[in-house]
Amino acid sequence: MTQVTYQILRNDGKGGVPHFQNFVVEIGETEAILTGLIKIRNEQDPTLAVRYSCRQEICGSCAMRVNGKSRLVCSRLVGTETKTHNNTIRIEPMANQPVLRDLVVDQTPFWDRYRHIRPHLILDPANPLPQGKESRMTPEQVDQFRETPRCIACASCYSACPAVGSDPDFLGPMALAKLYRFTVDPRDAAYHERLEGIQNQKLWLCLRCNLCVEACPKDVRPAERIVDLKRLANQEIGKRERGSKHSIGFLNNIEQGGLLNETKLARDSLGLFGMLGQVGKGFQMMRHGKSLKKHPPIQGLSEVQAIYADLNKPEDIKGRERPVGKGVKGE
Amino acid sequence: MTVKVAYYPGCVAQESGRELDMATRAVAAALGIELVDFPTFSCCGSGFIDEANMTLNIALNARNLALAERAGLNTVMTICSTCQGMLTHARHTMKHDAVVKARVDQTLGKIGFQYQGTAVPKHLLQIISEDLGGAEMLRPLVRRPLTGTKVAAFYGCHILRPHDVMKFDDPEEPHTFEDIIKVLGAEPVYYRGRVQCCGFPIQFVKPETAQRIAGNQIREAKQGGADAMATPCPLCHISLDTYQKEAGKAVGEDLNMPVLHFPQLIGIALGLDPKTLGLPRHMVDPQLLLNKVSVSVPA
Repeated sequence: MTQVTYQILRNDGKGGVPHFQNFVVEIGETEAILTGLIKIRNEQDPTLAVRYSCRQEICGSCAMRVNGKSRLVCSRLVGTETKTHNNTIRIEPMANQPVLRDLVVDQTPFWDRYRHIRPHLILDPANPLPQGKESRMTPEQVDQFRETPRCIACASCYSACPAVGSDPDFLGPMALAKLYRFTVDPRDAAYHERLEGIQNQKLWLCLRCNLCVEACPKDVRPAERIVDLKRLANQEIGKRERGSKHSIGFLNNIEQGGLLNETKLARDSLGLFGMLGQVGKGFQMMRHGKSLKKHPPIQGLSEVQAIYADLNKPEDIKGRERPVGKGVKGE
Repeated sequence: MTVKVAYYPGCVAQESGRELDMATRAVAAALGIELVDFPTFSCCGSGFIDEANMTLNIALNARNLALAERAGLNTVMTICSTCQGMLTHARHTMKHDAVVKARVDQTLGKIGFQYQGTAVPKHLLQIISEDLGGAEMLRPLVRRPLTGTKVAAFYGCHILRPHDVMKFDDPEEPHTFEDIIKVLGAEPVYYRGRVQCCGFPIQFVKPETAQRIAGNQIREAKQGGADAMATPCPLCHISLDTYQKEAGKAVGEDLNMPVLHFPQLIGIALGLDPKTLGLPRHMVDPQLLLNKVSVSVPA
């Protein structure tokens, strides 16, 4: 047992100024951080609002920020934090959601985004599921979305996401990862409609920062599923939205010289009209010694172009075999 | 101790951010890192090619790594968090995804390459931290300590995450950059934004959001008392320096925050010539920081 300081962000939920309050708790290093919070509530301050239920990483109720990182406090151990944080654990409510009181947030925006993706099979009326029998899938088909069913909707990823925090248009990691699951389900008939439904900024505002991958307690790897969705969208819808224009434009850009031609990329992504807005920026950059002179093509460009000739064709994303060995963290 | 590496400067350091290449060459010479140039290296794809065609992206980077292997070099030194991420991702996929590897091997075979997997991509920050003895190796080289200044590190996502692929530092609470800042004599600023995104990936999707993200990170560093920010990623540098005026407008504040490239910060403390470090090539004049250590940037 050791003395640990819990530094908890208190919030009365009635407009008072949020402030940190310290509680010293006697607790073992191998105990869950949640155990300390419950101790505080039971022994020191019954007004502390904290949400939890199963205490075994299944219900997803107890996500909050632990020393800045979004985590489930039922599975995060005291010792993992105290060693590197001077015996102190700073606890704040999840980010990107309004605080109701102390460590309890209003998850409405999170669930609204989940509902938006229609998280259920959409069937073709002309091709209904077999009645009275199971609708079978091959192990390979199931393997296409093996990560997403692990999701317990704890919203850790949503709390960790800087795009969610900066733009209400973005659907966020969890909703998009769940949506991906339906786009590769052979029983679902709304493939095109689903991909159309997340254009443009609902999907393309993902920053690929991978903070959601680190925050996820179940290794759903939302950022990677979002890249999968972008690939599917690029194939299905093509160069229509800015995000697609940018990634497909980038792909073509490198084929021409081997290295990026920054000016040409801006022109391809923004269009001629959008480029006009960038002219001033170009002058500013040159005035500050930023060269916009493009570099000559790389040596061995023909090798790069041979790679393009061989591989620059639609990939079979939905049918691809996926490597084994990537499992839940720590497996 | 000297190391010999295949030098992978990446696109930006060869175009709009040439000051990064200049500073890298100067600092590498001072640290005993021998850079071997490869005019044959192609772009890493920056994550965007991966969104359009995964296999093609892996093949491009497998070729880059194979070029270094062919020259007998085991380290590919990057100076961009994003290049580091993409090259490492390719190496990881070639190791763990037999289906993609078979397809890529077939393509590379046609142009006379055989990918072995012996060359490891490593960022300069990683080489200093892991191979050259850590931040302490810099201590005897410091000629002009940055005493009295506060510097905010901005890591750039792809050097850190996903951690099970990158296997470097801590993905959410890293310390290697701050360790170096301390040895150089400055005080590091710890702020949430240091491990977050600079907004660059969506600069062309929704500029106002990208700039608001950048603006928030700079503002937070400023609130922490930073005299300057420094980043190991030239794409972050574009968001934080090149577009700082727009970022300031997006958050309604005149930010005026110098942003240095990682090797420039080291170079200043090592007493290298400011012009050789490319210090006059920034949108926000780094003089604000340099005044505090009595260095002047030539016009």
